[in-house]
Amino acid sequence: MDDLTCEIMIDARPETIFPFLTDPAKHLQWMGSEAELDPRPGGTYRVLVGGEHPGVGEFVEVVPNERVVFTFGWDLPDHPIPAGSTTVTINLIPEGDKTRVQLVHSDLRADAHGDHNTGWNHFLGRLAVAATGGDPGPDRGPAAE
Amino acid sequence: MNHVDAALKALAEPRRREILRLVWSTELPATDIASHFSEVTRSAISQHLGVLREARLVTERRDGTRRLYRADHGEMDRLRDFLARYWTDGLLRLRDMAEAAERGRPHPARTTIDETTDGAPQPEAPQPEKEH
Repeated sequence: MDDLTCEIMIDARPETIFPFLTDPAKHLQWMGSEAELDPRPGGTYRVLVGGEHPGVGEFVEVVPNERVVFTFGWDLPDHPIPAGSTTVTINLIPEGDKTRVQLVHSDLRADAHGDHNTGWNHFLGRLAVAATGGDPGPDRGPAAE
Repeated sequence: MNHVDAALKALAEPRRREILRLVWSTELPATDIASHFSEVTRSAISQHLGVLREARLVTERRDGTRRLYRADHGEMDRLRDFLARYWTDGLLRLRDMAEAAERGRPHPARTTIDETTDGAPQPEAPQPEKEH
């Protein structure tokens, strides 16, 4: 299964970056218009992006200043990636006085029926990313008619 | 932009996802595709194929009286690039905000470069805000 990996170097310490992943007010500074975050295993992850795209899951692992893992998907009817159906891992790796932020989106599956086509899985994984990152054009949800 | 939106909508319908799977690596005539769906009318399948085609997720080819369909991987690739860019954009915003926080400034101007500080070494304001 193909994971999606994104990395970026940030000129800040992990302890500066970490709250942006777990504190709702700080999270909204870089992503989402509403955020409900309960950063402990089993706690809620819910970030509304683009006004109508609720990215929803649960925190799986929270290691202060090191790692955040949460399940992820969309709380929308008939969405190909249902809430909590994929996993996002964000690692904060110190390098000198900077931090490498590594984001891995995994467990990408087509839908509950299961599917063995890697290309399809891969595509839907990227699709998952669309709603995480922002609103592709007019503010209409994927399932909106 | 628009065709990403169209693709998202097209993929929101389970039967259209099933159709896309059927033609992912094989070209199939509409009749064969319809025969996979015993509970759905032929015309409904035609409509689904039309939506997928307009979203540029499948291509249509005529062979005599038959219409043949196949997944359009080229469009998939373009969508993949587009979507990956969205994620990267999120991380870029995270970087802007985290670096501003590191320097003790709450909100940087995202689209303009401050000429007075660009390239000039900034005094590193110590931030003794360790939580434990």
